[in-house]
Amino acid sequence: MAESTATVDGFRFLPPSLAAWIDNLIGNQEFTGSIPWTVLSRPVSEATVALVTSAGISLKKNPPFDMEREKREATWGDRSFRVIPKGSTESDIDANHLHINTSYILQDMNVIFPLARMRELEAEGVIGRFAPSAYSFYGFQWKSTEFLTQAIAPMSVKMREEGVDAVLLTPA
Amino acid sequence: MVLTPTPEFHRLVGIPRSVAVAYPYGRLLGQVGDKDGQRRVLLDTLSFLGKARTPGEMRHLPYAWPEEPKNAKWQPPEMSPLIKYYLDDIRAARKSKA
Repeated sequence: MAESTATVDGFRFLPPSLAAWIDNLIGNQEFTGSIPWTVLSRPVSEATVALVTSAGISLKKNPPFDMEREKREATWGDRSFRVIPKGSTESDIDANHLHINTSYILQDMNVIFPLARMRELEAEGVIGRFAPSAYSFYGFQWKSTEFLTQAIAPMSVKMREEGVDAVLLTPA
Repeated sequence: MVLTPTPEFHRLVGIPRSVAVAYPYGRLLGQVGDKDGQRRVLLDTLSFLGKARTPGEMRHLPYAWPEEPKNAKWQPPEMSPLIKYYLDDIRAARKSKA
């Protein structure tokens, strides 16, 4: 890939109308609230790192995320989550998401959910340990606080059980 | 730690540590089959995890997607229910900024 020194323009890939709408939703004010912060307790090379994506990935043996209800209720998004073992491969997974083109993920899930790349970095000692469980949820959560109790809370419990020090989120 | 395609959301929520990359939605690590490119983004992101010292700190990665945005084809085959629902508002937003 070519390199540039420019600041990332998050609207670059959006059609102009959608970019304008989202820009209005976000607003122009800088965030002034309190930002959660936990000091990383050990170097990355000794840390247990978990991976989470909002790309709607599920194991084929588990139920997919609910697209049908969202088609009927446009502002509803599935609040559940899925545990994806870190050894999973493309043959194990499905991807359901009404807001992105999921065909790339089905060919190579590392484009958004880099299980294979993380396993390689664990083997090389770049990270201390790749947590046994990775996670996927459905990225469209429109003004939903239920999602916090139905997905985030139980995911965090399992992460604590597995000794996770840091989490990488790859939003779709 | 968030690897984000839309750093502007920082204006709305406080994200502790984030790395921004100018890649299309759904392919934040890189192209299909590009192991070296995916690895580079991941290494940069994990490196920043170890270096960030301030709440809200963000790093912008220097990589450029090799396709023009209109050719990236990141959008779903069908317009999403939300876009359909807000289509009039979305069209109006563009006019209001013109």
